[in-house]
Amino acid sequence: MRTALYGVVLFMLLILPPVRHAMESVMIVHMLVQIPLLIVSGWLMAGYFQVKVERFFNKWNGNGAAGIILVVMITIYWMVPRTLDEALVSGHIELFKFLSLPFLTGVVLRDSWRKINPVIKSFIMFNYISMFGLLAWIYIDAPVRVCNSYLETDQTILGWGFLVITVGLILYILQNVFTDQSGSAF
Amino acid sequence: MVIIGVFSFEYASSWTFLYPLPQLSANAWGTAGALLYLLGMLILGVGFLLFYLDAGRAIIKNYGSLGKGLGWDVISGKKSEDNAPSSTVIASTMVIIVNVTALTAGATVLIMNVINVVNPAFTVDPLLAKNLTYAFGHIFANSIIYMGVIAVYEILQEYTKRPWKVNKVFLVAWSMSTFFTLLIYTHHLLMDSVMPAWMLIMGQALSYANGLPVLVVTAYGALMIVYKSGIKWDIGSALIFTSMFGWVVGVVPAIVDATIVVNEVMHNTKWVPGHFHMYMALGACAMIFGFMYYLARQDSHIKTNMADRFGFIGYMIAIIGLSGSFLMSGALSTPRRWATHIPEWMGPAIFGGVAGILALVATTIFVIHFIRFILIRNKTDERTGMNKKQLA
Repeated sequence: MRTALYGVVLFMLLILPPVRHAMESVMIVHMLVQIPLLIVSGWLMAGYFQVKVERFFNKWNGNGAAGIILVVMITIYWMVPRTLDEALVSGHIELFKFLSLPFLTGVVLRDSWRKINPVIKSFIMFNYISMFGLLAWIYIDAPVRVCNSYLETDQTILGWGFLVITVGLILYILQNVFTDQSGSAF
Repeated sequence: MVIIGVFSFEYASSWTFLYPLPQLSANAWGTAGALLYLLGMLILGVGFLLFYLDAGRAIIKNYGSLGKGLGWDVISGKKSEDNAPSSTVIASTMVIIVNVTALTAGATVLIMNVINVVNPAFTVDPLLAKNLTYAFGHIFANSIIYMGVIAVYEILQEYTKRPWKVNKVFLVAWSMSTFFTLLIYTHHLLMDSVMPAWMLIMGQALSYANGLPVLVVTAYGALMIVYKSGIKWDIGSALIFTSMFGWVVGVVPAIVDATIVVNEVMHNTKWVPGHFHMYMALGACAMIFGFMYYLARQDSHIKTNMADRFGFIGYMIAIIGLSGSFLMSGALSTPRRWATHIPEWMGPAIFGGVAGILALVATTIFVIHFIRFILIRNKTDERTGMNKKQLA
């Protein structure tokens, strides 16, 4: 339960107005720090929910498929440039961000990740490699300003951030498949 | 979705779907056709990706890693050649590595095209799009022969009752092909003068280095395994063995065209269809048809007849004629992808058309044989090997 407490503390920290404003004032921090940290806070809190509402998870997310689809959908939503803008100008969308990312993504991701088939895990990884690569391309190469709230230079920096993540994921996959995995759950 | 996009909505960018062509059709097709095609290709890619991931998982589970699937521990001397993975595992590992890479690149560029079709104001660097498209397309097409050769390795062992021994040269050749197949797609961009020169030079040099090692060890291996083996020739073994010939001769025009100075004058001629018809039809398709005949022989009591022998000989003559007509047209500087020809270009084209009819007849014979096999197989009881009449 201590892990869940860390999750709550992280979540509380992230919703503090000065922290929130500071993070949202820089595009790359908004997209690649705040949003992932919200997911991490949910991941840390997931242990509590898995115990408290175990039957719910078993009934609705028995093999992890429903949960992982939800995770993919919500993360795709938060990668669209327009949603960043809307989160800054609309209270409802901002509220949705602070609820959907920890509780519908982080919590659900942890519950689903241990349940889904290893092939689907690999597929999800490759899906994100493609998506992050695409976003890197879009944000670096876009001929127009894609967010009202951020400058073109901000979106270029974000694009390079996505590229770094893409390369990181590729290196992770490479070390995973080219190092000895005998006896692992592959 | 691809078929509906092409036939109902007249989408016609060809498989290359080079950005911004899906969107920039000059009213030849609309948004619906382009989206059906692009999203259909994306779903197709998802299916293939799942297949390769599952195959990769199986290899890692059994051999420890993809490196070991390629026999790197044998190359480094940690394991003896006797304990090397089978040729099938080595070829499969290579195809998994290159095709997963290709599909990941393909998914990215397909979605970018979708975005451009939905919102034409959103444009991106066309050269990067072309690079990604060929990184996907070249690798995926090239890997067909590497998948087909698995049938050669397995079936020739069966026919000759000899093992296809894996040695270090074989392993090094496959590792070289794994790396080079990923890098040589730039030989499709030799006419793009804005490409960095080093990438084009790499495309030429590695194209030479890519095709030959695996081709030589496989073709030489096929000759050695058959030589004085007392092999019983039938349509299946003949097609499999002849596919080696198709692969060897089919790759030559490709390597010629991968030479920058040749490419500048030959790439947009029919020389290139000459290469890939020979490579695919006489190489890859012969492997597939050979596998079909082998499967039918192994799994039923079906017998081949005169029609099948005619089909085999007809197929070989037809594909050599067809590919030869394309190569000849290329040598005459006949452009490819042109709907109409001037009279001076028609001679080889007519010859190719006749050869194409013979190829169609021969292929129909192969397909009929396979349908007959399926019908016989469905009537046969799995436990007893007897058909329903015999059981009655």
